[in-house]
Amino acid sequence: MNSRFEVEQDPKSRDTYYLNMGPQHPSTHGVMRIKLHLNGERIISAEPIIGYGHRAHEKMAENRDYLQFLPNPSRVDYLGGMIYNIGYCQAVERAMDIEVPERAEYIRILCNELNRISSHLLWLGTFLMDLGAFTPFLYAFDDREKILDILDRITGSRLTYCYARFGGVILDIDDVFLDNVSNFCTYFVERLKEYEKLVIGNVIFRERTIGVGIFAPDLAQKYAITGPCLRAMGHENDVRKDEPYGIYDRFDFDVPTQTEGDCFARTLVRMEEMRQSIRIIEQAVNDMPDGLFIAARVPRRIRPPEGDYYFCVESPRGSFGMYIASDGSDIPFRLKLRTPSFSHISAMPAVMAGTMLADAVAILGSIDIVVPEIDR
Amino acid sequence: MIADKLSSLLLDTTEANYDARGFHVQHTASADTLPQISEAFLSENFHLEMITCQDRRENDDKFRLIYQFNQYGTPQRHVIHADIAPDATAPSIAKIFPAADWYEREIFDMYGVTFDGHPDLKRILMEEDYFGHPLLKDFVDPPNPYRSEDDA
Repeated sequence: MNSRFEVEQDPKSRDTYYLNMGPQHPSTHGVMRIKLHLNGERIISAEPIIGYGHRAHEKMAENRDYLQFLPNPSRVDYLGGMIYNIGYCQAVERAMDIEVPERAEYIRILCNELNRISSHLLWLGTFLMDLGAFTPFLYAFDDREKILDILDRITGSRLTYCYARFGGVILDIDDVFLDNVSNFCTYFVERLKEYEKLVIGNVIFRERTIGVGIFAPDLAQKYAITGPCLRAMGHENDVRKDEPYGIYDRFDFDVPTQTEGDCFARTLVRMEEMRQSIRIIEQAVNDMPDGLFIAARVPRRIRPPEGDYYFCVESPRGSFGMYIASDGSDIPFRLKLRTPSFSHISAMPAVMAGTMLADAVAILGSIDIVVPEIDR
Repeated sequence: MIADKLSSLLLDTTEANYDARGFHVQHTASADTLPQISEAFLSENFHLEMITCQDRRENDDKFRLIYQFNQYGTPQRHVIHADIAPDATAPSIAKIFPAADWYEREIFDMYGVTFDGHPDLKRILMEEDYFGHPLLKDFVDPPNPYRSEDDA
C-alpha cells in the first residue's frame, strides 16, 4: 500500500463503488479493463481483467513449423517487433547451433537499438498525453517517424517487422542506411536534451509523477519485475549485461538506475536508456564489418534436438523469454512466451491500492504496457 | 545454499548446459512438494520467472508443470518439472509467490489443471463462459455460430 494515502473507511461501507476503467479507455493503450473499487477518488482495490486481445500465439506455434512462426513474435509486441523477431531467431539459432556472420550480428544490434528508441519514444509521447500534455506527443511521434523511415528502407515494414532469418537477416544494408543512422544519432542526442527541458523540469509533470505509484522493494521478487521498472527500483539488471546475447558483450554502455521506484524514476530511466541506445548504435555503425549478412549454410530443416530451451532478450519493457520444448520434430511441442508486461500488470493490484484514480492513469502509463503482449 | 535446502525435496537433479539450453539446473519433483520447494527458493532470494505446462497425455499420460526460478544479478536458472496425472490437482504456490497467481490461472484456463488453495481460480485469457481448454493437444476449435461458411 502506498504510504501517502491511507484508506480510512471500511471497504464494505456504502460509500464505495465500482468503476470500470476500460476496455476502451485511452490510457490502457489497447483493450484492457481494470475493475476499480473506489471510495470517492481513492482506489481501495484494482483488478486488471485481460484477454480481450488474445490471439493464441502459443497454440499457433504448436501447429506450424519454426520458420512459419517467424512473423508471429513481432505481432506479440508490436512496439518492440524487431527485438522480438530477432530474439526468436536467436532462440532457434542457439537450439540448432547455427553460426551467425559478424555483419548480421552488427545489423541486428543496430535494428534492436533503433527499435528500442522508437518504442521508448512512443511510450514518452503517450505517457505524457495520458497526463494531459499534448506537445511532447507531437515531438515524440515526429522523431519516431524518422526511425520508422530508416527501418522501412531496409525491412520494408514499419511496425511488425519480419527482418531476421535463422542465420542472419533477409536483406543487406547499404551506405545510405548507415548515413541515415549516423545523421539520426547526431540529431537525436540534441533532441533528447530538448525533451528533458520540456518534460523533466515541468512542474505539473513532477507533481503528477514524483512519489506516485511506488513499487515497494519486495515487489520485485514477488512479481518478477524486470526491465526499466526494475532498474527504477535500484537494481542494476539488464539482460544485455547479465547474460549477453548476440554480441552485446562487445559494446560499451551503462545501465541507468534510479532508487525511488516511482513514476518519475521510471521516466528518468527510460530517457537515459535512449541515450545509451544511441551510444550502442554509434559503436555499431563505426565497427560495421563487411561480409555475409546471412550464414552461407543454414540447415534446410529446422529440427532442434529433443529437450527444453529458454532464451531471453531485453525488450523495451523487460525480460522477454521464449521457452521452447522440442520433441525433435519440425514443429515445437510447446512454445511459451514469457512476456514482461504480463508480470508487471499482475503486480498492479499491489501498486494501485491506496492511490488516487488519476494516479492509476499515471501508473499504467509509466510501466509502459503493451496489451497484445499481455494477452498474446 | 539452495542446493542443500532442495536436496531432500527433489526426486532428481541434472546440471544443464547453460550455453545450449539457457538454464543451469533441471530438477524433477513430485507435485506435493512444490510449496516447500517454493519456500526454499523464496528464502534464497529467487524470483518465479514463469510457470507453464505441457500436455503429455499422448506421450506418458501426464500433465507436466514447469516452474522456472531465477535470481537477479548473475543468472541462476532452476527449472522444476512436476508431473501430475490428468485428473489430479496441484498445490497452489500463489501465497508464496504472488506472481504465480496469474500463471496458475493461465494454466487452468489453457489446460484445465486445477490448483488447490488458489485464492481465485478462474479463466484469465478466454472469456468466463468459455467451455474448452485451448492448449490441450486434442482441442478442436468449435464452429462459430456467428460466422457463415463464406467468411473463411
